[in-house]
Amino acid sequence: MMDMRMNVRQNNSDARSAFKKILDVWHTRLPSLILGVVFSLIALILGLALMSLAGSKVALTAIGVAITSSLFLKIIGSFRLIIRYVERLYTHNAMFHALTDLRIWFFHKLAKESAVGLGFRHSGDILSRLVSDIETLDGLYLRLILPFTGSILTFFILVSIISYFNIVLSFLIAICYIIAAFICPCCAGYLTRKRGKKLIQGMALLRITILDFIHGLREIRAFGAEQRIASLINKNEVNLFNDQAYQVKEVALIGVISFFFGQIAIIFVLMAGLNIGFHGLNALHTVFCLFLTLTAFELVVPLTRAGGLAGQIANAAIRVINVNNEKTLILKRDEQEKAPKYGDIQFKDISFRWNDSQPWLYQNLNLIIQQNKKIAIIGPSGTGKSTLAALLLKVVYPQKGMITLADKNLNQLTDDSVRKRIAWLSQNTHLFDDTIRQNLLLGDPKATDDELWQALSEASVANVVREMPDGLDTWLGEGGVKVSGGQGRRIALARTLLFKAPILLLDEPTTGLDADTEADFFQTLNKITIHRTVILIVHCLTGIEQIDEIWHLSKGKLIKQ
Amino acid sequence: MLDHKEKIKNWIKTQTKIGKKAIFPLIFLGLISSLIAVGLAWIIAEILGKILIPTYSLQFSVFSLLFFFLVLSVFQGCVLFLEDYMTLKTGLRARHRLRQLFIDHIMQIGPSILRRQSSGALTALIVDQVEALDGYFSRWLPASILWIASPFLILVFVYLVQPWSALIIGLCGLMVPIAQAIFGIGAAIAARQQFLAMTRLQAQFLDRIRGIATIVLAGRSEDMANKLAVSADELRQRTMKILRIAFLSSASIDCAMIMAIILVVLMDGNQFLKSHSVQSISVTNILFTLLIIPEFFSPLRSLALAYQDRARLTGTASMAVELPEKIIKTQNVKNIPFSDQVDIQFKNVTYYWDRQRGNVLHNLNFTLKARDKALLIGSSGAGKSTIIEMILGFIKPNKGQVLINNIDITEYSASSLSALTAWIGQKPVIFNGTIKENILFAKLDASDQEFQKAIEAAAIDQYLPNLPQGIETVIGENGFGLSGGQAQRIAIARAYLKNAPLLLLDEPTAHLDPQTEQDIFKRLIQLTQNRTVIMATHSEQGKKIHGLHIRLNKGAIIDCERVD
Repeated sequence: MMDMRMNVRQNNSDARSAFKKILDVWHTRLPSLILGVVFSLIALILGLALMSLAGSKVALTAIGVAITSSLFLKIIGSFRLIIRYVERLYTHNAMFHALTDLRIWFFHKLAKESAVGLGFRHSGDILSRLVSDIETLDGLYLRLILPFTGSILTFFILVSIISYFNIVLSFLIAICYIIAAFICPCCAGYLTRKRGKKLIQGMALLRITILDFIHGLREIRAFGAEQRIASLINKNEVNLFNDQAYQVKEVALIGVISFFFGQIAIIFVLMAGLNIGFHGLNALHTVFCLFLTLTAFELVVPLTRAGGLAGQIANAAIRVINVNNEKTLILKRDEQEKAPKYGDIQFKDISFRWNDSQPWLYQNLNLIIQQNKKIAIIGPSGTGKSTLAALLLKVVYPQKGMITLADKNLNQLTDDSVRKRIAWLSQNTHLFDDTIRQNLLLGDPKATDDELWQALSEASVANVVREMPDGLDTWLGEGGVKVSGGQGRRIALARTLLFKAPILLLDEPTTGLDADTEADFFQTLNKITIHRTVILIVHCLTGIEQIDEIWHLSKGKLIKQ
Repeated sequence: MLDHKEKIKNWIKTQTKIGKKAIFPLIFLGLISSLIAVGLAWIIAEILGKILIPTYSLQFSVFSLLFFFLVLSVFQGCVLFLEDYMTLKTGLRARHRLRQLFIDHIMQIGPSILRRQSSGALTALIVDQVEALDGYFSRWLPASILWIASPFLILVFVYLVQPWSALIIGLCGLMVPIAQAIFGIGAAIAARQQFLAMTRLQAQFLDRIRGIATIVLAGRSEDMANKLAVSADELRQRTMKILRIAFLSSASIDCAMIMAIILVVLMDGNQFLKSHSVQSISVTNILFTLLIIPEFFSPLRSLALAYQDRARLTGTASMAVELPEKIIKTQNVKNIPFSDQVDIQFKNVTYYWDRQRGNVLHNLNFTLKARDKALLIGSSGAGKSTIIEMILGFIKPNKGQVLINNIDITEYSASSLSALTAWIGQKPVIFNGTIKENILFAKLDASDQEFQKAIEAAAIDQYLPNLPQGIETVIGENGFGLSGGQAQRIAIARAYLKNAPLLLLDEPTAHLDPQTEQDIFKRLIQLTQNRTVIMATHSEQGKKIHGLHIRLNKGAIIDCERVD
C-alpha cells in the first residue's frame, strides 16, 4: 500500500478511436448537438454585429454623417440576449442528455464483462471513470467543439470584412488571430497532453487512497496507523496539486501570449488608421474594424484554457472507453437462443484451467443433473467446487467439452437467459446499501410483501426483521453493516429464494451461520424445493439435507457416492 | 443543540472567515487589471479621436501612444498571469485545508462513522466536494469584493470625462445586483438540492459497482441500468434548473450592458445633433466610455459565474454538519504507558447504536486476567462483535465501564490503546498494494527477520510460490486473487508483526471451510500464547480453546463457565 501503484492500465488505443466510440454512443443525440452549434454561431454573429455597429454609430455621429435609426441596434441587442440564453440552455441540456447516455452505456459495458466481479480493478477507479471522467467529457462539446467552431466562423467573418477594406491589414490580423485562437490553444493542448493523463490518474489514485482510508478505518485504528495513512493521502494530494499547478502555469503563460497577439492586432488596426506603415483605412472603417477586432479577440481569451483541457478530455475519453481493458477469460461466442425453461443439466467431458500456465482443474469431467433432483457436490477447498458453479453461470468457459441445458449447448444460449434460469447464492453475495425490501426485490422485482416475509421466514430471519423498528424498510447500510454477519447472510439467502428460477444453485449457503440456524435452514430447504433442481455445493453434509445424489469432487474427479 | 440551519450557517461563516484572509493579493491584482484596462481604453480612444478628427491635438505623439499601449499590454499580460497563478494557489491551499479538516474529523470519530454514513458518500465528500469548493475560495470570495470595487474605480474615471454617461452606466450596473438578488435565492436552493442528488448518485454508483457480479448473475443488469438512468436523469434535471437560473442572471448582465451601450451611443449622438458642432474632445470621451463598458461589467460577470461556487459551499456545509460530532476529548485522556500484561474488566456495560432498536449489550459484567483467554459464544446478533469493538475503542459504553489494567478505557488515548491490541476480524481489509506492503501495514519499520518470522508463522510462505510475483504480488480490492484463507493469513501475519499483549479475534474463521479453518486455528493457537485473548466464535473448532466461555444471548450473558 505504501508505494502506490496505479492499477490504471496503460492502453494502446489512442484518443481518436475513443472519441469515435463516444460519438457512436451519442449518435441519437447528434442532431440536437449540431443544432446547438448552429444556435451558438447565430449568437456569436449577433454579438459581433452589436459591438461593431455601436462603434461605427459613434463614429458616424462624430464626423457629422446623418444618423440612421437606432432601431436596428436595439433589435440586434435584444435578439442577441434571447438567442444567447436559448443557446446556452439548449447546448447544456443536449450535452447532459448525452452524458447520461454515456453513463448508462458505461454501466452496460461494465456489467457485461464483470460477472466475475471487478477483478484487479478498483471500485474507486471505476467510480472515478463513471463520475468525474464522464463529467470531464462535457468539455468535449461545451468547451472544445462549440467555441472552436465559433472561432473558425469568427475568423472568416473578421478576415473577409477587413480584407474588403484593406488586404494587407486583413492579412496581418489573420496571422494574429491564427496564433491567438488556434496555435496557442493547440500548444496548450499539446503541452498538457501528457500531464492530462497524470492529472486524471492522480485524481483516481487520490480517490482510491481515500476509499482505502474510509474502508480500512477499523484496521487503521486497530493498528494505530492514522499518521501513516494521513501522510500517504497527503503525498498523493501533493502530487496531484503539483501536476495541477504545472498545468495551470503553462496554460496561463500561453494564455498571456494569446492575449498579447490580440493587442498587437489592435495596434495594427490603429496603425492602419493612422497611415503608419501601410496604406491606411478611412476613419469610419477604422472604427468599425477596431470594434470588430476587439470583440473577435475577446472571444479568443477562453480558448487557450480550453485547449489546455484537451489533454485531460482525451485521457478521460480513453479511460471511459477502456473500462474493460482487463484481460478476461471470456471468448466471443455466437449466442442467440434463449435458455429452455426446464431440463436436465449435463457436463460432458469438461476440461478446465484458469490459464495456460496453471494445471488443469479438471479433465474430462462428466456430470448429469436430472430435472427436479437434488444433488450435493462436496469436497475439500481448492478443488474447484465453486468453479463448477461459474461454468454453469457462463462466467467462465471450459477449454474442452460442453455443458448442456435440456440438450442445448450453453454456448449457444444468451448469458442473461441462462442466468435467469438459475437462482444462485455465492460466498461473496453483495448486500446493497439500501433497505431490506429493495435488497430482496433484486431477487424478484414483482414480489408482494407477503412473498417477501415468506422468503425471510424460509431463511429463518423473519423474526429478526420483524423486531426491527422499520421492518422491511430497515436500511441495511453498506455491505449490510447494520445487521450482524449471520443476519446479512440469511437476508441474502432470502433474496436467492425469491428468485423464481427452476434451478437453485447454493454455494456454501450456511457459512457464518451457527449450528442451530444451519439445521433450521436445511429443514426449510427440504420443504420448499420440491419442484426445483437443487445443486448444493458444501464442504460437508450435516445429515439433515434430503439429497438424491451426492458427488464427491477431489483431484479433478467427480465420484458419485 | 443548535438546529441544523444554524449549524450550516456557522460552518459557512467560519470557512468564509478563514478564506477571506487569503484573497487580498487577488483583489489587488483585480484592481490593477482594471486600471490598466482604463489606460488601454484611453489610448485607443485618443488615437481614434485623432483619426476621426485630424485637427484634434494629442498630448503625446501617436508613436509614444502606441508605445504606451504596447507597454501596458505587457503589464496586463503579467497581471493576468499572476492572477491565474494566485487563483491557483488560493484554491490549492483551501482544498488542502478542507480535506485535512474532514480527514481529521473522520479519524477522530473512527470506525463507528461507517454505521451512519456510506463510504461512497464520505469519499465523495473528501474527494469531489472538496475539489468542487476550489471555486468558492479562489473565485467567489475575490469576486464578491471586486464586483463593487472594480466597477466603482472605472466609474470614477468615466465620471471625470463624461459625467452623464457615468450616471447611465452606474444605473445600468445597479440593475445587476437587484437581478442577482432575485435569481440568487432560487439558485441557492436549487444548487443545494443538486449537490445532494450528486452525492446520492455517487454513493449509489459505488455500491452498484461493488456488487456488480451479484447484479449481473441475478440477471438484473437491465433493471439496474434503468434505475441508474432514472437517477442520472434526475441529476440532469436538477443541474438544468440551476443553469437556467445562472444563465438568466448572466443574461441580466448582458441586458444591462447592452442597455448601457445603446443609451450611451444614443444620448451622446443626440447631444452632437443638437449642438451641431463636434468637439473632438467629446468624441474621444464617448469612445472611451464605449470601450470601457465591457470592462465595467466584467467583474459583475465573474460574480455571476462564481455564484454556483457559493451554492456549492452550502451543499458541502449541509453534509459537513451531518458528520457525527467529534468526540470531545475529556481532560483525562492521556498516554498510558505500555504494559505487556493486560487484564480486562467489564462493569455493568450497556450499549445501543440507536435507542429505538434497543440495547445491543445489556448490563455486562466479566473479568479477564492477564494472559487468560475468553470465548464469546452466541448466535449472530448476540453482541459478540460489539464487545470486541468496544475493547478496540471504536465505541464507548452508554452505561457502565470497561477497565483495562484498572484504568477506564475512555482515559486511554487512541495510540496507547492501539499499542496494547492486535485484532483479526472476519475478513481483513486488503489495501491497494502488494502482499508485502499489506503485511508491513502492521509495523512499517519491521526488520527483515521479523517479517520473515511473521510470514512463516502465518504460513504465508506456503502459498507464495503459487503467486505470479511472490510476496510482491499486487492484490485486488477485497483481496481479489487470494482465497479467504489466504487473505486471513495476511491478517494473522499482521498480528504477529504487531506482537501486542492483547489479542482480539472476531469470528476469524467464519468464512472458511473446515479444512482451512483447522489450518488457520493451528496458527491462531500459536499466536494466542502468552497473550490475553478474547475470541468471538461459533465454530466447533474454536470452542476447543480453553479458558472462560461466555455465552451471550441478545446482548446479555446467560452463562459463564471456565473450561480447562
